[in-house]
Amino acid sequence: MKDSLKNVKYIEKDKILDFIKVLQKDYTVIAPKKVKDFVLFGELKDNEEPYLDFLNSRQSPKEFYFPQTETIVEYEGIIDKRVPKFSENDMKKRIIFGIRPCDVKSTLILDKLFVNEDYIDDYYKRLRDNTLIFSFGCNNPKTTCFCASFECGPFSEEGSDAFITDIGDKFIIEGITEQGNKIIDKLPDGDGGMLKKKKEIKKNSDNVVSCIENIQKIPEKLRGMFENPVWEEISERCLGCGVCTYLCPTCHCFDIQDEMIGEDGRRVKNWDSCMFPIFTLHGSGHQPREFRFQRMRQRIMHKFNYYEENFNIIACSGCGRCVTECPVNIDVREILEKIKKL
Amino acid sequence: MIKNSYIPIPVKVDKIRFETEDKLIKTFDLVFMDKEEEKAFRYYPGQFAELSILGKGESPIGIASSPTESGFLRFTVMKVGVVTTALHNFDEGAIMGVRGPLGNWYPIEEMKGKNVVIVGGGFAFTTLRSLLIYMLDKKNRKNYGEITCIYGARTPGLLCYRDELKEWEKRKDMSLYQCIDWKFGAEGPIEEAAVEGWEPINLKEPSKTKIKKDIKKFTAFVPQLVSAVKPGAKDSYAIVCGPPIMIKFTIPVLTELGFPPERIINSLENRMKCGIGKCGRCNIGPKYVCKDGPVFSLKELEKLPKEY
Repeated sequence: MKDSLKNVKYIEKDKILDFIKVLQKDYTVIAPKKVKDFVLFGELKDNEEPYLDFLNSRQSPKEFYFPQTETIVEYEGIIDKRVPKFSENDMKKRIIFGIRPCDVKSTLILDKLFVNEDYIDDYYKRLRDNTLIFSFGCNNPKTTCFCASFECGPFSEEGSDAFITDIGDKFIIEGITEQGNKIIDKLPDGDGGMLKKKKEIKKNSDNVVSCIENIQKIPEKLRGMFENPVWEEISERCLGCGVCTYLCPTCHCFDIQDEMIGEDGRRVKNWDSCMFPIFTLHGSGHQPREFRFQRMRQRIMHKFNYYEENFNIIACSGCGRCVTECPVNIDVREILEKIKKL
Repeated sequence: MIKNSYIPIPVKVDKIRFETEDKLIKTFDLVFMDKEEEKAFRYYPGQFAELSILGKGESPIGIASSPTESGFLRFTVMKVGVVTTALHNFDEGAIMGVRGPLGNWYPIEEMKGKNVVIVGGGFAFTTLRSLLIYMLDKKNRKNYGEITCIYGARTPGLLCYRDELKEWEKRKDMSLYQCIDWKFGAEGPIEEAAVEGWEPINLKEPSKTKIKKDIKKFTAFVPQLVSAVKPGAKDSYAIVCGPPIMIKFTIPVLTELGFPPERIINSLENRMKCGIGKCGRCNIGPKYVCKDGPVFSLKELEKLPKEY
């Protein structure tokens, strides 16, 4: 018990800004902020406190490794003489502070796609390599949270450099990696009582958070289900608006577009969505996914079967954003339960 | 910024020519601006590249040149959308980009010592040209058995690489069969009647057609011509590339001739962007056409959902 305490530090809640200021000497700090009615992650300005009284942010912080719009290359001049132009710029290291365990899990899921032995996405890798993760345990999981289904959970530390827990009057911060420990080293040491409090909170959260039983059987179950008529039933209500893919922390499909202003231009990666027909439309007019049910099937199959087949992990972390934000109340948990029963 | 998979390699458009009589298809020979880049661009028949026009976008196009032809990369491109239209408007000397080589290739190693039957339709003949040139290369020809090529288009003027077709007709170390399925200027496919220089075949029961030794040009659809030519399936691979409808009707013919699914090779296409298996749009089941394809055997395709 004593040994493990070396890695346990604490901050009084009213001292959080002091700690952020220390971090900001060497790092850009990205943390939850109140933006109108929502909580969103953003860079903390001078003297700006993180907003830590939240369940989860409306959007996941995936945009900090996989920006919604990201420049690949810039160019200028007349069309038949253009060559790529590069600007070298150093990047300050970043800390994502207060990210929830489900969103950390999603990051680990995305790593497998963007950085693997086939090809590396250098843009993603650069942002990812420059980012430390200070994750934040969930004292009050929402009814739509089902992270416990995916080897995750409200207090999962996987992928974190340091782990923050709200124990009422103070936050305890546990160092997970060497880098994380180094950063929190100057904070006062925590004690056994604090850890005991955390244990109780964790126990309560683990009891509350929902879990889809036997989720690991879903990929195999889906294998023979491509032609099953259930897809039409599942997608009947779907409007094809794409909000589920926009908010999903593991959705990674993107488009590549060129933008010109006068004779200056840039090529960008933009988020895209498998919910839109143009996503797969051929130049010839041929359309492999003509109907909405085919696109819904692609989304479910990609997350729960194809991704698992390619990377040995299901591409969902149970954050529940697609459940809370779907305008027609499509609930992926119900879809999975339905599939299990078929 | 480090050079990465998304950055096009600068090339100069060296030669441009119309490929077909409808003037919708042009062939472009591209030359690398940097000799080191040229050396690093090692490709095999069947692979493709993203043709990249800064300010317009990118288009994934099969490489029509063979690695045995050095000094240029050849692409045969139909004018369809924004990028290909910009490309068609280019003059020789224009600077553009190429990203690749991408995807897998025809099983050139596996096919060594075997006969190869190439079946192509329309302007999908591009990577088949690459393969044919590769196999006919002096150094490589001895590695392959009989080479049969069956190639069709709607009209004689829509066949690609017509100068080379004339050379291949004369070659003794391969057999070239060509077909057209549309009369000049007529509305609708031909029936029994032949267009001058092109022999009719029995369209109802094409396999009963007697093919005379010196006649190699026919009025037929590609699957019917395959049925009439009856290429032997023993120790043979069939490489099929063409419009979906041609593939659909050719595969049963090849199967009936005795080609097993693992020796029927197809090249597929899908809408693509990144070309490196990240952007998520060209998948067929868990496989990405850009990264795991575009070349798939029928055996591999049989395991995938019919969503292409």
